[in-house]
Amino acid sequence: MHKKMAFSFPDEVLEHVFSFIQSDKDRNGVSMVCKSWYEIERWCRRKVFVGNCYAVSPRMVIRRFPEFRSIELKGKPHFADFNLVPDGWGGYVSPWIEEMAGAYPWLEEIRLKRMVVTDESLELIAKSFKNFKVLVLSSCEGFSTDGLAAIAASCKNLKELDLRDCEVDDLSAHWLSHFPETYTSLVSLNISCLGSDEVSFSALERLVGRCTNLKTLRLNRAVPLDKIANILRHAPQLVEFGTGTYTADVRPDVYSDLAGVFSSCKELKSLSGFWDVVPDYLPAIYPVCSKLTSLNLSYATIQSPDLIKLVSHCPNLQRLLVLDYIEDSGLEVLASSCKDLQELRVFPSDPFGAEPNVSLTEQGLVAVSLGCPKLQSVLYFCRRMSNEALVTIARNRPNFTRFRLCIIEPKTADYLTLEPLDVGFGAIVQYCKDLKRLSLSGLLTDRVFEYIGTYAKKLEMLSVAFAGDSDLGLHHVLSGCESLRKLEIRDCPFGDKALLANAAKLETMRSLWMSSCAVSFAACKLLGQKMPRLNVEVIDERGPPDSRPENCPVDKLYIYRSIAGPRFDMPPFVWTMDEDSGLRL
Amino acid sequence: MERIKGKQQKGTNGRLKVKQSLDPLHQMFTFFVLMCMELQLGLALPGSDTWSRPLLKLGLYEDINVNSKKRGFDHGYLEDEFSTASFKNYEKGLVGWPPVETWRRKKLRCQVHNHMTAAENGYCGGRASNSTYVKVKVEGVVIARKIDISIHQSFETLTTTLMTMFDIFDENRRSFKLTYQDKEGDWLIAEDVPWR
Repeated sequence: MHKKMAFSFPDEVLEHVFSFIQSDKDRNGVSMVCKSWYEIERWCRRKVFVGNCYAVSPRMVIRRFPEFRSIELKGKPHFADFNLVPDGWGGYVSPWIEEMAGAYPWLEEIRLKRMVVTDESLELIAKSFKNFKVLVLSSCEGFSTDGLAAIAASCKNLKELDLRDCEVDDLSAHWLSHFPETYTSLVSLNISCLGSDEVSFSALERLVGRCTNLKTLRLNRAVPLDKIANILRHAPQLVEFGTGTYTADVRPDVYSDLAGVFSSCKELKSLSGFWDVVPDYLPAIYPVCSKLTSLNLSYATIQSPDLIKLVSHCPNLQRLLVLDYIEDSGLEVLASSCKDLQELRVFPSDPFGAEPNVSLTEQGLVAVSLGCPKLQSVLYFCRRMSNEALVTIARNRPNFTRFRLCIIEPKTADYLTLEPLDVGFGAIVQYCKDLKRLSLSGLLTDRVFEYIGTYAKKLEMLSVAFAGDSDLGLHHVLSGCESLRKLEIRDCPFGDKALLANAAKLETMRSLWMSSCAVSFAACKLLGQKMPRLNVEVIDERGPPDSRPENCPVDKLYIYRSIAGPRFDMPPFVWTMDEDSGLRL
Repeated sequence: MERIKGKQQKGTNGRLKVKQSLDPLHQMFTFFVLMCMELQLGLALPGSDTWSRPLLKLGLYEDINVNSKKRGFDHGYLEDEFSTASFKNYEKGLVGWPPVETWRRKKLRCQVHNHMTAAENGYCGGRASNSTYVKVKVEGVVIARKIDISIHQSFETLTTTLMTMFDIFDENRRSFKLTYQDKEGDWLIAEDVPWR
């Protein structure tokens, strides 16, 4: 009998169809349709994304996807950005590089976030992958300019070298000179994180001059203002540019040179840098302002009037990063000038000051939420908030997808009513139905978590600090937020009950971080025993958790799902709870 | 005792700390000076419900509690004033708060702040400040002092002056160690680096 299926395409046809499917989620979906689709898909997947480098082993990835060209790996938990993850916790990329060096000579792209990268790994990359094109290291550490020199010297086809927010051991500025004179393929270079008071300007100029496809160039602070004109003259085709230090003695010739060269950059859409900025030199960028879609002034310590002038020249701005020097008045101007604004981040100029140093309040955020119809992503540091403002913001802007509010003093109540801010954040999750990311702050009770569990059905990432009254709060979130992938909590009175009751939920998430909470060592052990597919890591610098009573709360807890089992590269202050956790310790 | 409000000092320009080893004579060096102006220059004492970052490395206060049970009443009183301020909170877990990324904090700290008041000196990177005054804190002593580093040519003379300032007797000199805080906020032993 003819049992052949009506649709029995040759593999090549399916492969061709799959090649149009780029997103990981969709590819994962495709691979689960049936066994033959799984097989075809795995052979033709070219980009692999591993959100937690300990969730799977390098060998497993290589076994499943024999022909990928691009890999993205993330290491440390997000709270590592704020010093909450002790040095030496992990996130080492070397095992990955070593495995791939053998298996994948045609690897082209490596993107890493919050990982520890060594010079040896960089040298291995330079040696092993002949067609290597893209290296993006985001918030990474552990390497020096020697490793960069190896990359520069060997990767003839390198297109992108991006070191955003990395901590690099700056041994020598001459690594730039290791790019051979014949090398011309650079498209994107971001060295803004490099310290080094000496930058080889001539090497930089020559590099920029011969790489005619260069579209992105982000310099570091060491590059003085008077050198920028020369560099830009070599690269008028730049689309994204980050200045170095933006200060110099005010000299008309330097100014006009700079202004002239900016005028010739007709493609410029994004500007950043502006360290030590001197307001007198700002108008030099006015010629490009009307085309700017992205502006990062988050290091620019200039006052509101100068910021207002600048922002008024940028009607097409979609993304703005700025310090709170902009103040409410500046945000009102932003709201009226920049109708295309999609993302706004306002950082604190004086995060540790006891008193407010600028006039930036909830009013600025209200203004922007009202005036900017496309605003969907906000990160806002301020010192006071009210439920009324939050409700207004939520009603104005139901299209928020990312809402991160940081009221600088923990447990700050609504300044008008002195009540908790539960209702305000409740409005945010209720009105913003597509909210994917939320960060809470201020005085909050369990009630806010009830709102979140009830309404935030699309929420994928939640950050909580100094909030809640009891386990009920955590329970609301774990039981209600269907799309939750990442949950990070610090200094909240959440303990064993909610965690153990929702153990199964943890396998549907990427990770859970809890520090300075009330989860006992006993509960951690139990969780580790009950859930073999979770790595339950207790991080405690006070010494082994079993040297204290079992009901003592652990200092930090990091739980993540993994099919690779417990890791073996842990430092002495990290313990994995597993089936034999009783014996292991 | 009145609450003293001082402007928060920013930057981590060379603060010296004289670290004291476990020493039964420790208690002798706990003295208490009511010098309000000194406090204003150096230490920030916000109200009890603010969470500003303290200037001094917190380990000091921990050590006091651990090592010396017998404290003069005056000293104990002042110490409680301090502990109601942000210091204890810092130790308790205000690490990483407010959540500003470490690299952003460093880069911002090292810049010229146009509108900082004159009372504040000491930015790292040395761009803004020409001041050679450095704050010194002795473990077990509540009040810090300021010393002009530029008048000294060696660790010897610096240490001698400091010992005199804090009334530390010669025979106990050896139990003290000079440490300093670098740009990254790490405490290192001063004698490990050349005087310059």
